[in-house]
Amino acid sequence: MRLIDIIERLRTRMVKKIAYCILVLLILVDFIIPRHEIHFFGDSIPGFWSLFGFISCVIIIVVSKWIGHHWLIKDDGYYDQ
Amino acid sequence: MISEIIDIEFFHPSAFYIIGGLLIPFLRGRVRQGYMLLVSFLAFFAVIKMPYGVHGVHEFLSWELTFGNVDKLSKVFAYIFTIMGVIGVVYSFHVKNNGEHLSAFYYVGGSLGVTLAGDFLTLFIFWEIMAFSSVFLIWYRNIPSSVDSGFRYLLWHVVGGLILFSGIMLHYSESGDLSIQYLPFHGWWPTDISSLGYFLIMIGFIVNAAVPPFGAWLPDSYPAATVTGAVFMSAFTTKTAVYALIRVCAGSEILIVLGVIMAIYGVVYAVLENDARRLLAYHIISQVGYMVAGTGLGTQMAINGVVAHAFCHILYKSLLFMGTGSVLYVTGTAKLSELGGLYRTMPRTMVYTIIGGLAISAFPLFSGFVSKSMTVAAFGEEHIMWAFLGLMLASAGTFLHTGLKVPYFIWFGKDKGIKAQEPPWNMELAMIIGSVFCIGLGIFYNYLYALLPYPVHFKPYTAYHTWETLQLLLFTQLGFFLLIKKLWCEDTISIDTDWFPRKGARTLMWFVNKPLAMLEYNFVGEIYEFIIQKPIMRAAEFFRWVDTVIVDGFFSGVAELILRWSRQLQSVQSGQIQQYAMIMVGGVIVLILITVILP
Repeated sequence: MRLIDIIERLRTRMVKKIAYCILVLLILVDFIIPRHEIHFFGDSIPGFWSLFGFISCVIIIVVSKWIGHHWLIKDDGYYDQ
Repeated sequence: MISEIIDIEFFHPSAFYIIGGLLIPFLRGRVRQGYMLLVSFLAFFAVIKMPYGVHGVHEFLSWELTFGNVDKLSKVFAYIFTIMGVIGVVYSFHVKNNGEHLSAFYYVGGSLGVTLAGDFLTLFIFWEIMAFSSVFLIWYRNIPSSVDSGFRYLLWHVVGGLILFSGIMLHYSESGDLSIQYLPFHGWWPTDISSLGYFLIMIGFIVNAAVPPFGAWLPDSYPAATVTGAVFMSAFTTKTAVYALIRVCAGSEILIVLGVIMAIYGVVYAVLENDARRLLAYHIISQVGYMVAGTGLGTQMAINGVVAHAFCHILYKSLLFMGTGSVLYVTGTAKLSELGGLYRTMPRTMVYTIIGGLAISAFPLFSGFVSKSMTVAAFGEEHIMWAFLGLMLASAGTFLHTGLKVPYFIWFGKDKGIKAQEPPWNMELAMIIGSVFCIGLGIFYNYLYALLPYPVHFKPYTAYHTWETLQLLLFTQLGFFLLIKKLWCEDTISIDTDWFPRKGARTLMWFVNKPLAMLEYNFVGEIYEFIIQKPIMRAAEFFRWVDTVIVDGFFSGVAELILRWSRQLQSVQSGQIQQYAMIMVGGVIVLILITVILP
């Protein structure tokens, strides 16, 4: 099978559904994962890093875009003017 | 067996690149490819054979220059630099421009020289060789913006080098000792002369490590470099600076703050970036942030983490630059807004780039996982939670951009119907080598851990740690696909701290051209003419009489001779600063050779 065919196979709704199942599974399994070293409160909450990852992603996108549009983004030829 | 035949105690790996490189301009085609590969392999074997200890000590004036200070720390960096040398050489086989090969060789040689330097003077000389040779990797792109960008790059590094040099001189005047020692800087600003020296040395290093606000040269210049030049540059300058910071400034608390800021700063800019190679350049800043922060923490675990991370970083970041560089090479653009749908034509390049993306994101079973997590865990061990969480936040951002945004918008996204094919065989081979390292180090990490400066007690693949990382990354992916509409790229640039020098220079030029020129022309010029020029003209009239009547006869012969000399000298004065820079670098290298060869 060619590489392109494999890639095309992976772009179906079925794969998307499996991906969502994996996300749910990640949180569920986190309830039974043994914790050796607890550095701070977040380490003892099941699913904490899922939430942290999701919120981090949203914050990074929203905050960066906000700063960008209000301040940092300029036209491609900004320095040549 | 080989070691029994060739029994040389210490052969400086830089020598292969710096002296061996001189032959490159005389070779062509396959012979040149074979020769370059041979030289880079020999340098790697020289590193393997390097015995621990101090070698290559040479007297120069009243100083002792040490070229070969080999311990575990310098050796592991020498390993990765020479491995990267081999990969870079394979990737640039197809390049016809000899000058580009030569500057890459001197650049690699320079970084090996810094790594093995035992005194600050040697370090400084190789430091400058790196700056002056790497700038050619930008200039050889041969487009107007890369010429400008190269000059700015050089200015940043010259200023950084001067700050470093003044720090070294202050330290030398205080202590009378030039050998490289552990000189951590404590506090937020210098309080006395000796701490000012340490401070300036640290600033000199962090300019090259691209720590904000001194880091704007990196995203400005790397995307302006040639396809192969950027691959070399992504590996050497910042990591050499990290090495120098570990050696001299480990445990300087200010670096923790700067490092964490840096890790997040790179991520923020990466959101806004449209040029794939500039996006990756901002991620160098972000990743070097982990290293700078770990160096600031300075515990054994943190330093081990930093060294491991630098090692893995060089491999995955060069892989990413090779992937996006291939896209630029084939399609002529690296702008995400102009790319899309390339998975049909460049699927293999996509796989390599995604492997690099998973490695930089610290996915389990990839190299970043075994190195980045050590640095981050070191902050957890010391219970510095703000830094720990800041670095975790940056990890999410890393995966968001390098693992998701770059592959998605180049290979999927909107199909722009761009004609493309896989890059030449040598570029692909280099990417395969890089990919093998990225996966290999993630699985057989014990080989890497054995090279680290301190004994390693850290275990990367514990159940909780693996699960923690998987949750963080996969939920970042969820966020990416939910917010993908916000991430479509526009053809814009984002201003960085180089706004100050770039716009500042414009104001200065206006001041010089308008008010200052006016003042000079209307006021100073008038006075000058009245007080100085007129009396001088009168005196000159008299001397002209003396000259034409008496002196001329004797000296016209001499003048003829001088005229002939100056005509010859004129040919050296081409007016091209690039050529002057090359002559200066050549001169420095000749000087070094003289000091080494003369007893």
